[in-house]
Amino acid sequence: MTEALIKTEGLTISFGAHKAVNNVGLALEKGLFTTILGPNGAGKTTLFNLISGLLTPTEGKIYFKGADITSLSPIQRVKMGMGRSFQLTNVFPTLTTYENVRLAMQAHEDIGYRIFTNHRKFSKLNDKTDAILERVLLKDKKNQPASQLSHGEQRKLELGMVLALEPEVLLLDEPTAGMAIEEVPTMIDILQRTKDSGTTIILIEHKMDMVKQLSDRLIILVNGGLLVEGNPEEVSQNPEVLAAYLGGGVLNEVSS
Amino acid sequence: MIKQQFKGSNKMNLLLLVALLLAMMVIPHFAKSATVALISRIFILTVYGMSYDILRGYMGFINLGHALFFGSGAYIAGILFTKLDNTFGIFILVVLITIIYCSAAAFIMGKIVIRGGSVIAGAMITLALGEIVRNMAERWRSVTGGADGLPFSIPPIFRDRLHFYYYALIFMLVMTLILRQFLLSPTGRVLLAIRENEQRAKFLGFNTDKYKMIGLQVSGISAGLAGVMFGVFNRFANTDLLSVQQTLNALLITLVGGTGTLYGAFVGSGFIAFVQNTLLNLRSQYPIFERWLLFFGAMYVLVVLFMPSGFVGLWQKLISEAREKKKGSAVDAK
Ligand SMILES: Nc1ncnc2c1ncn2[C@@H]1O[C@H](COP(=O)(O)OP(=O)(O)OP(=O)(O)O)[C@@H](O)[C@H]1O
Ligand SMILES: [Mg+2]
Repeated sequence: MTEALIKTEGLTISFGAHKAVNNVGLALEKGLFTTILGPNGAGKTTLFNLISGLLTPTEGKIYFKGADITSLSPIQRVKMGMGRSFQLTNVFPTLTTYENVRLAMQAHEDIGYRIFTNHRKFSKLNDKTDAILERVLLKDKKNQPASQLSHGEQRKLELGMVLALEPEVLLLDEPTAGMAIEEVPTMIDILQRTKDSGTTIILIEHKMDMVKQLSDRLIILVNGGLLVEGNPEEVSQNPEVLAAYLGGGVLNEVSS
Repeated sequence: MIKQQFKGSNKMNLLLLVALLLAMMVIPHFAKSATVALISRIFILTVYGMSYDILRGYMGFINLGHALFFGSGAYIAGILFTKLDNTFGIFILVVLITIIYCSAAAFIMGKIVIRGGSVIAGAMITLALGEIVRNMAERWRSVTGGADGLPFSIPPIFRDRLHFYYYALIFMLVMTLILRQFLLSPTGRVLLAIRENEQRAKFLGFNTDKYKMIGLQVSGISAGLAGVMFGVFNRFANTDLLSVQQTLNALLITLVGGTGTLYGAFVGSGFIAFVQNTLLNLRSQYPIFERWLLFFGAMYVLVVLFMPSGFVGLWQKLISEAREKKKGSAVDAK
C-alpha cells in the first residue's frame, strides 16, 4: 500500500440537525484514480467542500501529504498542490476563455505582484495557456467570453482552469454534468491522459462508462456516511452495497 | 472576420481619442476663462472618479470614506504651502508626502475593512473612518483652519489659469496611462477576476486580500494626488473635501459615466460638471431652479433607472448591437 495523499478522520459537518457528511474516514492513495459514487444529496459535493476548505468541518481532521490542513485556508491548500473543479460552472464570466485559463496559469506560475508589466508580456504563461486550451479543445474559442460558451464548453473550461494549476491532486466534481453524450469520450480521454501523467484524481461522477474506464478505486457515500471503499470489483460484489444502495443494477455494470 | 471588426473598432476609438485630445489642446484658446476653469476642474475630477472606479468597478468594493484621500491631498498642499513656502520644490514634497500618507491611510483602512466580509459592512466602516478624519480636520484648528477652511497661496508656476489648464490635462493623461497600465498588469487582471468571481480567484490560489490591498493603495494614492491638484486649483481646502458628500461625488461620477472602464470617469465628471453648471446658471433666470439640487437628484434617478451601466455602458451596448445587425445582414446576404 502506498502512502495516503489525502486522509480524513471522523470528518463531520452538520447543517442544523442534518449531518451532510457524517464521520467519514478516508485514505486516498497517491497516483490512484478514485471515484466517489452516491445518490443525489449523499454529501459528495459537501465532502469536496470540506477537503478543499470551502467549508470548515464541525468535527474531524483532514490531512494532505501528511500535514494536518484542517484549519488552512483554501488558498493555502491550493498552494500545497490541491486543485478542484466545481459541479456548477464557476468561472470568470465576462473574461475570455483565454483569460480564464491564463489567470489560472498566472496563479500557478506565481509571477509575483507585478503592477506595471502588461499581462500579455509573459511568453511562458502564454505558451502554457495555449497548451491547456489545446488540451481541452477550446483553442478556437479562446477569444470568446466564457459566458458565451456552450454548457459543454464551459465544463471543459472549468477543467482547463484546474489543469493549469498542475495540481498533485485533482478533485473533480461531475465534470460532465449536463454535457452532451457525444462529448463524454473526449472528457474521458483528457482525464485518462491526466491520470497517466501521474496526477492523483478524485472524481465525483454518475456516468458509469466513465467510472468503469478510469477508476482504480470506488467509494460509495450514502446519507453522508461512507458505505464501502475498495477496488471496483470488491465494491460491486459487496452485498451491503447491492442491498442498501443500488439494487444491483448499476454496479453490475461496473464489474462486468 | 471577428478579429478584423475588432481591429476596425479599435482604430475608430483611436481616431476618436486623437480628435478629442486635439480639441482639448486648442479649446482654451477659444473658450471663456470660466469654461477653461470648468474643464480644468473636470480633468482633475476625472482622476478622482477613476480612482473610485478601481474600487467600485474593478474590486466591487463600496468605499464611503474615499474622500479622506482626496481631501487629505488638498490639505497637505495647503498646510505645506502655508507652513513652509509656496515654491515648486515644496510642491514636489507635497506630492511625495501625499503618496506616503495615502498609502498608509489605505493600508490602515484595508486592514480594518478587507477581511470584514460583506460590502455593506465595508461601506459602513469606511463611512465611519471618513467621518473620523473629517472631524479631526475640523478640530485641529491651528493647522487646518477648522470649519472656516484653509486658504493658501500656491507656487507662481500654477497661477496662470491657462497654463494650469494644460497641467491639469497632462495630469489626467499621465494618471490615465498609469492606471490603465496598472489594470493591464497581472495584478490588475487579478482585481478583475475578483470582481467577476472572488471565490474562484481564491480557488486558483490568489491571495485575494493582498490584491485588494494593492488596489486600495493605488486608488487611495490616485485620489490623494487628484486632491492635491484640486487644492492647488482652488487655492483652498476645507472639510467639505473630506465629507461624505465628496465621496458621493466620486460614486456619482462612476454611476453616470459607467464603471469598470476608467474612461467612464471622464464622461461622468464632464456630464456632472456640465449639468451642475447649467442648473446653477438657470437659477439666476428662473426661480424654480433655486431647488437645483432637486433636479440634480432627479437626474441621477433617471440615469440609474435607464442607464444602469452609465454612458459608456450605453455606448458599448449600441456598438455591439450595431455589430450584431451587421453580422446578421452579412449572413442574409450569403
Ligand atoms: N451550505 C449548506 N447548507 C445547508 N445544507 C447544505 C449545504 N450544503 C449542502 N447541504 C445539504 O447537504 C446534503 C448533501 O449535499 P451535497 O451537495 O453534498 O450532495 P451531493 O452528493 O453532491 O449531491 P448531487 O449528486 O446532487 O450533487 C444535501 O441535503 C444538501 O441540501
Ligand atoms: Mg454534488
